[in-house]
Amino acid sequence: MRRIIAQTRKELTQLLRDRLALALALVLPLALTGLMGTTVSLTVTDIPIVIQDLDQTPLSRRYADAFRTSLTYRVVTLPAATSPERMLGGGRARAAIVIPEHFEREIRRGRPVEAQVLVDATDGNTAQLVRGSAGQVTRAFARQLGGAPTPTVQTATRLWFNPGRESRKFYGPGFLVLGLSIFPTVLAALAMSREGEQQTILQVYVSSISAHEFLLGKILTWMVVGVAQCLLLALLMFTLFGLRFAGDPTPLLVGSALFVFCVVSFGSLVGVAIPNQAAAVQAVALGGFLLSFLLSGLIFPIENIPDGLRWISSLVQARYYVVIVRDAFLQGGGWPAVWWAVLAIGAIGAAFYALAWCTLRRMQVKA
Amino acid sequence: MKRFWALALKELRQIRRDRRLMISLIVPPTLQILLFGFALDSNVSHLKLGIVDESQTLESRELIRALTQNSTFTLTGAYPTAGALGQDLGVGRLDVGVIVPHDFTRRQTRGWPIVVQVLLNAANANTAQIAQGYVEGGIDFFNRQHAGGRAAPVGLRTALLYNPGLVNAWFIVTGVFGTLIILNGSLVSAATMIREKERGTVEQLLMTPASALEIVTAKMVPLFVLLMTMVLLVIGVARVVFGVPFRGSPGLLLAACAGCVLAGIGLGTLVSTFARSASQTQLISFFINPPLAMLSGGLTPIEAMPKWVQPLTHLNPIAHFSALARSVLIRGAGLDVVYPNLLALLALAAVFVSISAWRFRRQLA
Repeated sequence: MRRIIAQTRKELTQLLRDRLALALALVLPLALTGLMGTTVSLTVTDIPIVIQDLDQTPLSRRYADAFRTSLTYRVVTLPAATSPERMLGGGRARAAIVIPEHFEREIRRGRPVEAQVLVDATDGNTAQLVRGSAGQVTRAFARQLGGAPTPTVQTATRLWFNPGRESRKFYGPGFLVLGLSIFPTVLAALAMSREGEQQTILQVYVSSISAHEFLLGKILTWMVVGVAQCLLLALLMFTLFGLRFAGDPTPLLVGSALFVFCVVSFGSLVGVAIPNQAAAVQAVALGGFLLSFLLSGLIFPIENIPDGLRWISSLVQARYYVVIVRDAFLQGGGWPAVWWAVLAIGAIGAAFYALAWCTLRRMQVKA
Repeated sequence: MKRFWALALKELRQIRRDRRLMISLIVPPTLQILLFGFALDSNVSHLKLGIVDESQTLESRELIRALTQNSTFTLTGAYPTAGALGQDLGVGRLDVGVIVPHDFTRRQTRGWPIVVQVLLNAANANTAQIAQGYVEGGIDFFNRQHAGGRAAPVGLRTALLYNPGLVNAWFIVTGVFGTLIILNGSLVSAATMIREKERGTVEQLLMTPASALEIVTAKMVPLFVLLMTMVLLVIGVARVVFGVPFRGSPGLLLAACAGCVLAGIGLGTLVSTFARSASQTQLISFFINPPLAMLSGGLTPIEAMPKWVQPLTHLNPIAHFSALARSVLIRGAGLDVVYPNLLALLALAAVFVSISAWRFRRQLA
């Protein structure tokens, strides 16, 4: 035990002297999570649209005003003698509402009229949003007109867990996970591969320290750093993102400790296997960052990943941690909701540790 | 000129002999575009729908069918009480819950209004908003069917242009394209630029009669050629694997690619002038690349970013490239539409390349 702690102290001293690494450890996670959590969102507001009013009557203008007052849209004026398609093709508008001729006359006569919305579907998600909300605006307008059959079935929608539909409350915790998957991993991998690159690992081999003690000493060091990062990021969640614990925070505490252990073990494994700092960082960038970013449900839902790739995501530790963090800050389901995720992180962490230990032993025998 | 060619040839041979560099030019971009294209799909579909049907009549079942007839919702379970439904919504087994009241049929036959409760897990704001639109659309459809022939006075017909099948891969692949060029381009060029510094062969270069400017350009030209080959490879994957339409002029796209490649080389060279070793260039890239990629509009729409961030994306070459690639490839736009993006891209490339060349020269001198 004493040997483990002594090693941890040595590592931490080494970190404090390396300014680039220290910035990587403390400043960058905060800055990156803050920046990305607030800026990344899929939900577009203020979508620029054009309205082509071929009728030009009071009623058609009232319909156009319904879109103007909607917060989702920003109406861009359609220059004279320009077709709406040109505005869409030029990317100056995302959608165009075309109000047909005789719009008012037909309504007064009680005949149904159909307006048209042309949606630029280049971005499928925004197109879906536009389609949904344009329908809502039109239905509300039709109801206002009266004379229409009042819809018998109405909906009373209640938004749970994030009633303001603030996307930062969803993405903030996601980028906390991303930050924690990158930085402790990179630092651990760098520290480990440095020993290999500078051949100082030979000194370790000839010392009386065992592979377990060596590995645990390294892991403990970066766990200290990782937990510090986690606390800083949690602080960011409370302040910048305005989140609070929605329920029992103990799954988050246990899950975070296990997750940090898991990523640090992964980093050590990479560092042991690749005794070259540049290559090790690249491997972490690919394995740690890209996989956690793509296959963890951070921004894009896992359910949409094709079956052939989706199984990979069950091996990605970040996928489980995302569930735990979101549950702690938004849903508040507590242990009954996330016990399986905590177990999975523990299992993956143990597997990484075992692999790292095996690799280290093998290298030791070879050396 | 002869000196320049000799140097360029030397660089080209050096790169060709470096197996790892060649692999890193081909494998990661292909792998990344495949992974991104397949894995990133923001389309909202197959949401897990739970039902509490207190009415249990033909009409209420018809309402449920109206909601589940397309692929947006998958009926996951029927619950006896709202409490049980709420619990499953809380632990994430459901995304949407619909509660049909017990007097559904009675009120419907009498023409009284009925309120159906819809519970949405709004943790993911985007999904919730789209799901809400679909639930209301489904119920509106049901209402129209039961309105006894009287249609609503105003209807709305939607036409989806350019990508009627809502193939999300088109959006992602065209967005990731620029990110790939810049990230891989800057990594590869930083690696080749730093090598002379790391091995101390800079002195040898200084002893040659070549001027500093010749040295820098001779380093950049072979990189440019190689990276353009990578670009062609990525274009091939986008076309063959993802079926991205090529509606606009290919020359325009290639011009934009050239600008983007130059910007990437400039960025990589710049990074290499700040670093002392290969591992440091990699670490510095960690500071630059993620924000560059995320604030590009490649993966998420720029319009969805906060207002104060949006102007910053004008300084990002990836943002201009994605906007241009989407316009040209998917919307079939011509030069008259995309010239601002193209000019901005070329200007940014010129700025990056000249700053980095200047810094590189200074470190040689």
